Amino acid sequence: MTPANQTHEASFRDPSGYMFHDGGVLRRVINPIYFPQYTQLRDSGFFETLIKKGLLIPHTETSVADDKIVITPEPIPFISNPYEWSFEQFKHAALLTLQIQKYALSKGFILKDASAYNITFHKGKAVFIDTLSFDFYEDNTPWRAYKQFITHFFGPLVLAKYHGTDIFKMMQTHIDGLPVQLIASLLPGKTKLSSTLYTNIHLLAKMESKHSEDYSGETKVAKLSKKAQNNILTSLFDFIKKLQLKEASEWGDYYNKTNYDDAAFEAKKQLIRDWVQSLSVKKLIDMGGNDGTFARTVIDIVEDVIVTDIDNNAVGYNYQQVQKNGETNMLPLVCDVLQPAPGIGFNNTERNSLIDRLKDYAPDVTMALALIHHITLSGNVPFLKSAEFFAKFSDYLIIEFPKRKDSWVHSLLTRKREFINHFDFYNESEFEKGYLYYFELEKKQPIEGTERILYLLKNKHSIGG
Amino acid sequence: MSKFSIIFLYFDPGLGAMIVQAIVAAAAGILLFSKNAWYKVKAFFGLIKDEEDTYDSIDIEEEDTERNDAS
Repeated sequence: MTPANQTHEASFRDPSGYMFHDGGVLRRVINPIYFPQYTQLRDSGFFETLIKKGLLIPHTETSVADDKIVITPEPIPFISNPYEWSFEQFKHAALLTLQIQKYALSKGFILKDASAYNITFHKGKAVFIDTLSFDFYEDNTPWRAYKQFITHFFGPLVLAKYHGTDIFKMMQTHIDGLPVQLIASLLPGKTKLSSTLYTNIHLLAKMESKHSEDYSGETKVAKLSKKAQNNILTSLFDFIKKLQLKEASEWGDYYNKTNYDDAAFEAKKQLIRDWVQSLSVKKLIDMGGNDGTFARTVIDIVEDVIVTDIDNNAVGYNYQQVQKNGETNMLPLVCDVLQPAPGIGFNNTERNSLIDRLKDYAPDVTMALALIHHITLSGNVPFLKSAEFFAKFSDYLIIEFPKRKDSWVHSLLTRKREFINHFDFYNESEFEKGYLYYFELEKKQPIEGTERILYLLKNKHSIGG
Repeated sequence: MSKFSIIFLYFDPGLGAMIVQAIVAAAAGILLFSKNAWYKVKAFFGLIKDEEDTYDSIDIEEEDTERNDAS
């Protein structure tokens, strides 16, 4: 038996099997209770088709015994969670779930759950990662994961259309999706006029509260033909495909508003590329990396890149480029550095905090370009504190420090009004004092034509290994 | 087969949610039927434009349905 402390913290709800850490490798045990499903899924070519289409994470069978089957899925460098996705990513995850359910149905299976955590982004695309989520289809039964699909995908997406993508952050406080009644109450009244929204949300909410007290299970369970179920799936698919944010989805063309002339912009790119090249980097994370412009200057010389930004639109724009360019080693992610995703769920470990996941990811280099003035001046975080944050997971840190004369810094300082004196510490020597407590100075280079300095720092304590 | 399925009801699918699907499906059926009819009318008058998007179709198999049993 696998000792309890090696089982994956997110893997305990489903009796079909569980994930466990075998040394550094994540494997999946399948319990005998799930053997009939698993063998049929394997032998019928069901898994093979989904894997070949890139919709399901590939796995190999490691061992087969009477009491357990062990499979080893392809490793995923970093697991992103729904509250870290841009609108487009969320949409793609929802559409993938419907595609898989429709395909499963055609082959005599169903998705037995429709959790958003069954999907993550890998090699530039949404991929289904819970290989044991399938069960046999019984003729004329409704989809039992239907409500979960609404609470995990459809509800959040529709709410985001009306209230913006901040809605996705509510997934942090509701690990099993947003309650249907809450979704219904947050939607504007006019949504009752849409037959899709009325039936899938408002009527669902009504029916759920009407039948919530049927403890004895006396009410007859409804029947639903396969054709009817396909109609639900197709209409949800069409609806979600067309969903667009109400808020201006124009990406704000940030770089035209900043203090770089073209030459300085190119100089900074070249400097970053040179430094990254000299370090032989495998994994890199660019925090506050906007639409990935600077990460893309090194995308061909690193194995894996994560780019985070606080702005959902910037992340969405980045994701669009990933698709357009067919990039397979870039993961765009929504993250507020001042408030990184916490650990949630049972024991607070079901879904790990961003920092824990970054520690596992162990990037060789972290980039923080044009970020420190926001952390320090907008977030009031002292240099020592932000240095501590970066030191938790980064071996090397490439960080850009805009001096007081920089126009962005100047405007942030001006906004402090009579408290401006409280920020006298915002200067080069205080910055170095804070950061050199955790890091060693490797390189320091003013960026020509700007009031900014680029630092290459090395963690005093080695991260990972 | 149902003896397997019962075991896997490890979360509550929601009774209301199971019942409501019949109505959802009926509404979806009408919508899809009318969209289809409208599409045919537009096609008849040559008014169909190819929409460009990054989304795949809901059907993952189009032409190679039966070619998976080779191995």
